[in-house]
Amino acid sequence: MGILRFERAGKQYSTDGQTVTALRDISLEVETGRFVAVAGRSGCGKSTLLNLAAAMDFPTAGRVILDGVPTWPLDDFALTRLRRGKIGFVFQSFQLLAALSAVENVELPLMLAGENDCRRRAVESLRRVDMDGYENRMPFQLSGGQMQRVAIARALVHRPRLLVADEPTGNLDSATGDHILALLRRLVDEHSVTILMATHSLEAAAAADTIVRMRDGQIEQIQEGR
Amino acid sequence: MASFRLLYRFVIRPMARERLRTVLTVFAVALGVGVVIAIELAGQAAAGSFHASMETLAGRADYEVTAAGGVPVEAVGRLATLAWPIRVRPRIEDYGMIAGDLRVVPVIGVDLVADGRLAAAGGEAPDAESLMAADAIWAGPDTGYHKGDTVRLILNDTERRFRVRGVLGSAAGGAFVLDLGSASRLLGRKSTVDRILIESPASESVLRAVLPPGCELARFGARTEENRRMLAAFRWNLRVLSYIALVVGAFLIYNTLSVSVVRRRPEIGIVRAMGATRRAVLGAVLSEAAMLGLAGGAAGLLLGRVMAEGAVRLVAATVDSLYVSSRPAPIEVTAAIVAWAMAIGIGAALVSALTPAWEAAQVPPTEAMARGRREYQARVRRWRNLGLGAACGLAAWLAARQAPVGGRPLFGYLAALLLIATGVLAIPALISSLASVSAGCLRRIGAEALLAGRSLAGSLRRTSVLVGALSTAVAMTVAVAIMVGSFRQTVLDWMDDRLKADLYLRPAAPASADRHPTIRAELADRVAKLEGVAAIDRFRAYEINYQGMPATLAGGDSRVASRFGRRSFLGVSNPVPIFRALEHPGTAVVSEPFANKHNVHPGDRLRLPMGARIVSLKVLGVFYDYANERGYIIVDRRTLLRYLPDPASSNIAVYLKPGVDLEAGRRQVEGALAGARVQVLSNRRLRQEAIRIFDRTFAITYALEAVAILVAVTGVASALVALVIDRRRELGLLRFLGGSRPQVARMIYYEAGLLGLLANGVGLLLGMALSMVLIFVINRQSFGWTIRFHWPVAVLLGVLTLIYMATVLAAVYPARIATRLRPIEVVHEE
Repeated sequence: MGILRFERAGKQYSTDGQTVTALRDISLEVETGRFVAVAGRSGCGKSTLLNLAAAMDFPTAGRVILDGVPTWPLDDFALTRLRRGKIGFVFQSFQLLAALSAVENVELPLMLAGENDCRRRAVESLRRVDMDGYENRMPFQLSGGQMQRVAIARALVHRPRLLVADEPTGNLDSATGDHILALLRRLVDEHSVTILMATHSLEAAAAADTIVRMRDGQIEQIQEGR
Repeated sequence: MASFRLLYRFVIRPMARERLRTVLTVFAVALGVGVVIAIELAGQAAAGSFHASMETLAGRADYEVTAAGGVPVEAVGRLATLAWPIRVRPRIEDYGMIAGDLRVVPVIGVDLVADGRLAAAGGEAPDAESLMAADAIWAGPDTGYHKGDTVRLILNDTERRFRVRGVLGSAAGGAFVLDLGSASRLLGRKSTVDRILIESPASESVLRAVLPPGCELARFGARTEENRRMLAAFRWNLRVLSYIALVVGAFLIYNTLSVSVVRRRPEIGIVRAMGATRRAVLGAVLSEAAMLGLAGGAAGLLLGRVMAEGAVRLVAATVDSLYVSSRPAPIEVTAAIVAWAMAIGIGAALVSALTPAWEAAQVPPTEAMARGRREYQARVRRWRNLGLGAACGLAAWLAARQAPVGGRPLFGYLAALLLIATGVLAIPALISSLASVSAGCLRRIGAEALLAGRSLAGSLRRTSVLVGALSTAVAMTVAVAIMVGSFRQTVLDWMDDRLKADLYLRPAAPASADRHPTIRAELADRVAKLEGVAAIDRFRAYEINYQGMPATLAGGDSRVASRFGRRSFLGVSNPVPIFRALEHPGTAVVSEPFANKHNVHPGDRLRLPMGARIVSLKVLGVFYDYANERGYIIVDRRTLLRYLPDPASSNIAVYLKPGVDLEAGRRQVEGALAGARVQVLSNRRLRQEAIRIFDRTFAITYALEAVAILVAVTGVASALVALVIDRRRELGLLRFLGGSRPQVARMIYYEAGLLGLLANGVGLLLGMALSMVLIFVINRQSFGWTIRFHWPVAVLLGVLTLIYMATVLAAVYPARIATRLRPIEVVHEE
């Protein structure tokens, strides 16, 4: 059984009385320990798909089942708990909190979940992404690649079942982007992390086990990469 | 036209878009302006009121003659026989109380035969038959009485029944008018009148030549001017206090505009790239400020008019009990007041906008290419500011040691301002230090507390301004609370020391700082002879003028005072020798406010007009006194009677024999006073009444502080809304990282709580320092009172808790906004 399953899921938005269809009839299963890339042009629905996968939003049609739990009709509190336990997020623009040091950023999900031993686990998570020694640096003291590594450490610190990465190399130069992709690949291979990554770059998508090509809110093709 | 369009697009439209913040900022300015206007209007109404009461039926005059204890009637004859065209109008001026509704009304005695036409203008002329009637009285149109009505008036210690013989013209206002002969008889003026008004082209020297030596001749209206001068310190201090809310409001305009400039840096960069000059940008920000000030000024004017209704009652009551008989005049919003409201609204806004406007003008066109406000860190030079703060503190200490300027504690105010500057400048360094010290502790509380602490320290400039505004308001509240609490305790201690008699008698007719109704001598004699009475101290007070300022001359029984009573003298541990020496004619003791106002010391000689003579008195000592601010000169009763032979008393202290039960003694005294309208007050009751008047006097200062706090809390609410809007990405991110809605709300509450804690801490420290300046510099130089420092712990705890709760409650709405943000939208916004 996969960690994530989309069953004919769709998403529509209403803006100023007009209905916009962001996703249509999506059926997809992500197996545990796989690296899945969702590729396509801007506006094809990649981010919406990631938001549904990460229980940040509900489908307006069909179902999204995360680790056996349908995300609808969970209330806000239950969704929050689901995210806390099972999801890790990486963003294109890193989204580190400027007022917190690297290690404080990493331990934040643990603290929000009220867990213990936060600092030790955060330091360990930083080590997994080769950022040991940078614990007390503030975000403005780090390079783009280093910030993204810290963001990945933060996403992994609570050992989520699924790591959702939205254009993780989008704000990086190609060499740094390659390092980040290699890191994600290593996490899958060595630590059996499941990754769902959105990217507009086919080059980046090539690092994944499976490439889901999207166009106009629909899956165009699912291609096994490796 | 084009510039107006640009103004609309870049200034008005963004203000309209952020309606809530704009409304909150305008509200804060409006409150600040409103308080200033309310106090100005109330002060004007209260200061105008004694003029209105005293000048009832005064008409036109060139000079006025007054004398301590009354002007001898022979002066009227002497003036009338001068070989100059002259019109002499003797008057008796007093107050009575209507027995039914206890309303205090002016009771004026004039020569209705000679002045009938003046009195009647617009009303009914007194007819000859009515003038002969013993119970005849005429009512002013504002008294509410009509011809034929019966009115019972309490005059001195007696209730009298009158029949209203007619309603006079508008010049009589709310007064009752008696013919001079009746007034003289009924109000106990034996061969004296209170004032003579003179219409004559004769010079002062001609007139003075025929007047008895104790009489004082002045230009008509001089007394009103003296009263105004006496009130100046009170009004000035009240005015200064009223500006605190405006200062706090100015902090908030500064904050609003700073945030607005930081947020709109990319926008400003684009405009600059498209050809806008630095001056245009400067002008745009200043225009935004001016508009906030204009709207705040206009709303403040309306608010001020509404608040003035309440303020005028409090101010008038204080003026009446501490300075001069008064009844509030109508509140008048003049063109000058309207202009002043606009000027201070716009002025405060423009001054607070100068720094943000200058910063906006410095934004380079390349900012258009930058990634926005996150790239811009507002720099705060905290250590340099701390150094400046220390310099301000030192300057404050030096300013506090300077003498008053023209009787006003200008350096005291400067010291207070410098202290506030010290506090405000020290805040950034304090916040940084506290943030690093408290990090571990906040972390232990939870992620929300840690984030709240870091976020406050991270936006140091905004936090500093907010803490500065709130702590200034808190500091002033703390300072006023300590000052009033200390003053209250000092007065309580003084009463413990001063009020030793068992019972106090005073006439039922209304008394005030300048009104001393009397009890007949025969009633006092009756009380003195009672079996249970050990001694009585007859105290008689007269209003006099000393060196152009009103003061009170009084006589008491020194023998009784040295045996039973006590009075604490400055620098004297045993007052008995002073009382003994006071029995000798030609000696006096003076109160501390009098000594300070006139720079009088023990050993100095005073030259006082008493009756028809000028008397020289040697000052034996200066006693602590908090009864009124006019100041007392006290002589022995026998000395007083030598020059002013009326034996009636203004009040009487009764000492019961040891072992006589208070209630039994009271019954005896009341029996002796049967038929007379004299109040018999126990020692306890008198103290309670004094404290009630004290609390009423200072109610307005608390009200002013409450408004300042309200302005500051409004600012906190407004700033938290801005903070939520600015940090929406971070708040959304927390939801992505597993934070729940209640956790996001808690973070906002923690921020408000930390702001409140910081502001209370800084405010408490600053307030302590300010209270020293208030007590030992401003109050002493303005009013001449020695106040002993006292901690009103319960009041301070209550006030600080209230402020803290208000600050946290100010976060309710911003927290609601924060929890309603859609994380997906805000995180992907950029």
